[in-house]
Amino acid sequence: MRAILKAKWQLFLRTPWTFITMTILILIFAYLIGGLGIDVKHEIPVFTNIKDVEKTETWSRITESEVFEFQLTTETEAKQALEDHRVEAIVFLDHDDFKVYVATETPNANLLYQLLQSAYTDLFLNESIIEAAEEHGQVVDIVSLQEDLAKQKENPLFSIQSEYFYSDKTVKVDMNLQSLFGFTLFFVIYTIAYNVLFILQEKQSGIWNRMILSPLKKWQMYMGNLLYSFAVGYIQVVAVFALFRYVIGIDFYGGFAKTLLILIPYVFCIVALSLCVVSISKNEQHFNVLIPLISVSFGMLGGAYWPLEIVTSDIMLFLSKLIPITYGMEALKLATLYQMPVQDLLPSMAVLVFMGVVLMGIGINVMEKRSG
Amino acid sequence: MLEVLDLTKRFKKNFAVNGVNLFLEQGEIVGLLGPNGAGKSTTISMIATLIEPNSGDIRLYNESIIKHPEKIRAILGVVPQEIALYQDLTAEENLEFFGRIYRLKGRDLKKRMDEVLEIIGLADKRKEKVKKFSGGMKRRLNIGVALLHNPQLVIMDEPTVGIDPQSRTYILDTVKRLNQEKGITVLYTSHYMEEVEYLCQRIYIMDKGHIIASGTKEELKNILSQENTITIKLDQVRKQFVELLKADPVFRQVMVYDSSIQVMVPKEVNVFTRVLSMAEQSGVELAAIEVKTPTLEDVFLHLTGRALRD
Repeated sequence: MRAILKAKWQLFLRTPWTFITMTILILIFAYLIGGLGIDVKHEIPVFTNIKDVEKTETWSRITESEVFEFQLTTETEAKQALEDHRVEAIVFLDHDDFKVYVATETPNANLLYQLLQSAYTDLFLNESIIEAAEEHGQVVDIVSLQEDLAKQKENPLFSIQSEYFYSDKTVKVDMNLQSLFGFTLFFVIYTIAYNVLFILQEKQSGIWNRMILSPLKKWQMYMGNLLYSFAVGYIQVVAVFALFRYVIGIDFYGGFAKTLLILIPYVFCIVALSLCVVSISKNEQHFNVLIPLISVSFGMLGGAYWPLEIVTSDIMLFLSKLIPITYGMEALKLATLYQMPVQDLLPSMAVLVFMGVVLMGIGINVMEKRSG
Repeated sequence: MLEVLDLTKRFKKNFAVNGVNLFLEQGEIVGLLGPNGAGKSTTISMIATLIEPNSGDIRLYNESIIKHPEKIRAILGVVPQEIALYQDLTAEENLEFFGRIYRLKGRDLKKRMDEVLEIIGLADKRKEKVKKFSGGMKRRLNIGVALLHNPQLVIMDEPTVGIDPQSRTYILDTVKRLNQEKGITVLYTSHYMEEVEYLCQRIYIMDKGHIIASGTKEELKNILSQENTITIKLDQVRKQFVELLKADPVFRQVMVYDSSIQVMVPKEVNVFTRVLSMAEQSGVELAAIEVKTPTLEDVFLHLTGRALRD
């Protein structure tokens, strides 16, 4: 078996093009479609009746946002931008209040509202404390009072710890991760399948027969080939994830290690699926027709291109339950977006292992029957 | 050494091999001759234990190998019709891979690789990728791989298909040398009559899944001891002339080529007067009339009514 792995490694070094092409495609698709590397700040036109608003405390607070970029404009222009759907929302800032105009309710609109609410509340709180102190006849040094308030906030009397909880209907979407996970799980099918295809090519060229006649056992022949395909597929997905995590700086919500664990049953399942496809392929041309058909439909049904959460068709949702990508995406999202512990990922991983075992069994049996 | 008894293989309803019997003595080169689709490859695949027969038996030193394929696999080298090599690896890397799967290691493997490269005349090309080799060089390496583990029996399935005459001669000489110097038994299949005539001590002729004749070259040619093969060369082949030949019961197996016609005629018949008269009748100008000693090609023609490469 080591001889097979060594030969495959030599062949990989001579012809790494499928691997390189697929890796580049994943990077391009995940980078562009996920909007990675592009300035992701949402532009929010602001109009106001506050004079020199840019010098106010409120303005400095809201412009600290990493999500929104506030741009001062006139009321007419702001409203026109909203009507033309060039922006998601616009804001009117007043001395003691604000208004948010939105075209449609989006998660960003809520976030914007919370940001403004928080800025105004803090401001009013400070003002109220100062007013209360002045009412009690104290001479107030505003700067030192503000410093005191900041200190008090560091050691509050009451500490409130807030946690998110998700119900079944709670949906979180992170387009960066969606496209990274989706396109990685999709394109790695090609990388793996074209490595498993070696078995068919070896059968057609007579190399497989030479191995049968040697002292090698059948399981060693399959194991050598499939282990190699697994290794190449796994290295690719790990490399892509690592690149996005450590070079591009994508937030995995602390679940990076867990995603690497999830990829093991997924890659195993895709190796088994590829073996199944190879086993039913009459020749290489037939395989070349089947693989795009299967992978693209799997990508669509399994939520690689768009989140399954936006799919409403019951038939599509039912079919998605039969697709490995569905469980891969589900586990990856649970591990990252929802920050679930490993035991909550096990059901999806178990389904992938089960699918892999079944597909592997079918693939080897069909292949052996056909060669018999 | 090896006996094949009443071997039959059916693919759905078609008999690829039907009741084949043959044997191989140690140290001989035996030819299996037949046109494409005769059942040669299926027969040798069964002997090599790659496919199971529907019925019949294959016995190596009197022991059936159908249930115990490992017995023959240990002493068998197979040269398939396809180039069963990794095209992107070098000659040396290919030999190393196939040597390793035969459990050769370290110095033994290296020594054997050197010997094989010497035998097949590719020692100076060992570092070159197979895909850069000529057809003949690939064929030679294809043979080399089958020799790595020092097999006692080598089965060669049309090992010279599609190569230049020089490479073919090299391969045939290599096979002969291996047989003479190392005592390797060879089962050689081909549809090239001259290869089998040159190499083999005994020959089996196969057609449509059956062995239709067998024996030494001389024994097979004696089948035609009562007939001569006549080649009539013409300026132009005319339909009327061919029809006259076919109408005469003396002329058998009339084969028409571009500017010649081949027929079989009983030895006692005076062919010249008959042919001259027919030529005159049909207005054909004769260039030559050749009487040939029968070849195995003629034997095949006699037995099947078809040329080997039809």
